[in-house]
Amino acid sequence: MSSRDSDRITSAQQTLDILYDISQLLNTQLDKETLATCVGMIENGVNPEALAAVIQELRRESAALNAQTGDGR
Amino acid sequence: MSDISQSLELLVASLVPQARNKDALMKELLSHCQEILSQNHDTDLGHIAGLVKRHLLQSSASNSSSLRFTNLLSRLLDQPLLSRKYESILFLHSVASTSRRNNPIATFLPSVAPPPPKIPSTVTSPVDSSLASRAPKGKSKAALLREYRAGLGQSQLPEQLLLRDTLYLLQGISGKYVRLSLSDQDQQSRLIFVDDSTYLVPAPLRTLVHRLSEVGHLYSRVEAFVKDREGTAGVGMIEQSLCHHLQAQLTEYYRLIAVLESQTSMSPSADLDSKNIECNVREETGLTLKRLDVWITEWRLRMRMMSVCVEGARDAHGGALVNLIHSYTDNGDPFVRQFTDQLLEEVSKPFFSTLHKWLFSGELYDPYNEFFVSVNPGLAHMQYLHPSSLTGGIAQLSSDGGFAGLGGDSEDMSSERESGLRLWEAKYQFQKDMLPMFVGEAFGKKIFSTGKSLNFIRYSCHDSDWVATREKMGNTGGTLKYSDIAGLERSIDSAYLTASQRLFEVFIEKFKLLDHLQALKHYLMLGYGDFADQLMETLGPSLIKPAHTLYRHNLTATLETAIRSSNAQNDPPDVLRRLDARMLEYSHGEVGWDVFTLEYKVDAPIDTVLDPDSMLKYQKLFSHLWKMKRIEGALSQGWMRIAGGSRTFLRLPDFEYDWHQIRLVMAEMIHFIRQMQAYCHLEVIECSWTNLADFLNKREGDLDALIDAHRSYLDRMVKKVLLLSHKSGREESLLSQVRELFSTILQFRETTDNFYNYCLSESARRDQYKDAARGVHTGMQQGAQDQELRDALPTIRKLIRDYSATFSERAQGIVHSLQGHPDLDCRFLGIRLSFSDFYRSKKDHQLLQQRSS
Repeated sequence: MSSRDSDRITSAQQTLDILYDISQLLNTQLDKETLATCVGMIENGVNPEALAAVIQELRRESAALNAQTGDGR
Repeated sequence: MSDISQSLELLVASLVPQARNKDALMKELLSHCQEILSQNHDTDLGHIAGLVKRHLLQSSASNSSSLRFTNLLSRLLDQPLLSRKYESILFLHSVASTSRRNNPIATFLPSVAPPPPKIPSTVTSPVDSSLASRAPKGKSKAALLREYRAGLGQSQLPEQLLLRDTLYLLQGISGKYVRLSLSDQDQQSRLIFVDDSTYLVPAPLRTLVHRLSEVGHLYSRVEAFVKDREGTAGVGMIEQSLCHHLQAQLTEYYRLIAVLESQTSMSPSADLDSKNIECNVREETGLTLKRLDVWITEWRLRMRMMSVCVEGARDAHGGALVNLIHSYTDNGDPFVRQFTDQLLEEVSKPFFSTLHKWLFSGELYDPYNEFFVSVNPGLAHMQYLHPSSLTGGIAQLSSDGGFAGLGGDSEDMSSERESGLRLWEAKYQFQKDMLPMFVGEAFGKKIFSTGKSLNFIRYSCHDSDWVATREKMGNTGGTLKYSDIAGLERSIDSAYLTASQRLFEVFIEKFKLLDHLQALKHYLMLGYGDFADQLMETLGPSLIKPAHTLYRHNLTATLETAIRSSNAQNDPPDVLRRLDARMLEYSHGEVGWDVFTLEYKVDAPIDTVLDPDSMLKYQKLFSHLWKMKRIEGALSQGWMRIAGGSRTFLRLPDFEYDWHQIRLVMAEMIHFIRQMQAYCHLEVIECSWTNLADFLNKREGDLDALIDAHRSYLDRMVKKVLLLSHKSGREESLLSQVRELFSTILQFRETTDNFYNYCLSESARRDQYKDAARGVHTGMQQGAQDQELRDALPTIRKLIRDYSATFSERAQGIVHSLQGHPDLDCRFLGIRLSFSDFYRSKKDHQLLQQRSS
């Protein structure tokens, strides 16, 4: 692995750390992995607000599903 | 697009774990998500940073998280990897705000959070379409106006340039378009807008810049103060810590300025990115003057407070400065209160460290005279002089043990005497204006007394070991702080108690104050009757001689004899060593009785209580009591002669009447002097002593209280024994009457002695005649002498009559004035003297006689 690659990886790590700090600050309740995925999507040109809506939607779905399974039992 | 769907799949899997196993659900969710993503969300970029900050400000009251966000953001901007940073931030913010919105508590209690002090724009949700629709709308009115002005050739100065200048102004530096200038009259800097023909600054912006530059002005003042104090020597510790705190605040301020500057530098790049977008959109991206104003608002308040402190620090000093700052803690504005509390915590640190040192070790470490206790420079060195002289005194005591040291060291004793009470009273001074208000004056006094006591124990009582152990104990008790006033008061109380208790102990046990007081009472106030009698007996013959024939060594030798032959020999040698017989300054014609005095020598640190003034009073008391004792002795001797001798061998019936008269008068005199003595010893001295002993047993209060108690004890005795009245100018009138009475008694006594001698020779003559008649010749004829004697008889008789008349007259006068004496005890003495209204009836008698004649 070249030093440039390692530089890239460390800087990526740093960026992710900073973003994660901000997300903690804002209390978004995203874990680091999810955050990395989302940032990757945004880098690929996904509309961020829409993505946020997606996250919310998914959370809602999850909660509903949880409730369902809770009811089923 | 496949990339996105893959990522989406991942997302769905992590957020909705149930979907991992169910393909149908997975697909449904995926398509749903795709649908949402495909919706057109247009938004502007720089706006989001502001939104996030607002969000942060709303969620947490403090400014710190928003600052931290700004910091993180600028770091993120440095990272080269991401190309869509703003989108990421926007995403995070959206997640945060939507999750917040879902929170029912937040929606129910929206008014609890303070209204956003920030950007005065309308509350817009991130998916507000109005923002998006604004861009293609075309030229606004402002843009039209701008174009119109550009057409006229007087375009407005771009806000960015003005903004940069304003940032300079905030640091007290002149900018390119706006300058600071010092006007000559009042040292106030003024803003000058550089006139430029091509640009003009509109009035609203001008006022805005003015508003902002206030902070810059205050800043430069504070900074100048800090710089000024840094350079000069001899700046007080409290001021130093004020400067330290101000410096810390300024550093915070620099940080803010730096963040703001980084935001302005962001704007041009954003400008380049969106060159095609209209200007009003660009204004949203970075910093504007209005936003700057909002950012600065809190700092404006802070700077104002700081500059107030700085202004105060110019003429206040030390504790007074702390007072000045403390006066702001009662402010109704919570911000001001908090700020001053914080400031005071810092500023009072040196004060408390001084206090700690003073309170627990009695040392005053105050190089800049800031504490409310100040040392008297004239007496500061005394502490080092003292212990050495004390050890010398102790060594002397152990080596010579007895009286040997009496004569020689009177010189250095008198020089040392100066210091005892003066050292206690004047070494440290209490300065009320330096006392911080949060301590309170009563506690200030306690602190003052505690430290003084400790210092005194250490240096004057030579007991530094105890102080050192106390100091260690004090150190474990925790530090004194401004925020813990209750704890402070508690520790002050306990320190005060222990210190003054210890001082009492030291005085009573180590330095045997009680022994000295008792010795004074026994010797100087003739409490030891046998000693006084012995002294009177042995000294009497030599005191009749003129004063200049008396020698000190004779007196001291007699004193020693008196001590040896009385019960006083059982007293500790340390007490006896201090007792000395002395002659006062005498003038021509005075006899030994007038100038003889006993003296009791005290040295440090006892002379703090028994100071030279009180020793003088003791001597005064002694001379009066000694006179009384002399009269008593003379009278009792005379009485023995008259009562015994005249009956046994003076068988002269024709003088019987004279003797009877003499006995009557003498009985009156004896009654008088006995009552007087009983009054002095029982009513005055013993009663006062009980009071003092009660106080000493209680062991309350500090050394000041002890000194006061002793003073009142002594004053009471002086006042009552010497029968002083409070009338000014006539304080001693009664005393002089009593003294005249005493001299009358002495003269009377002398005359009776003469009469006695006459009777003796007369009876011898008669015996001779009788012998001659019987034819026995005894002795020679002394006709001529007889004649002389016979001539003397009428004068003697006359003198006796005269003296008895004067005596009763004077006694009457004394009783009369005693009955009108303001002091109750003295009045009671009058009652005792004429118990059966003896003198009153006599007076009535006289009046009657006068009327009848």
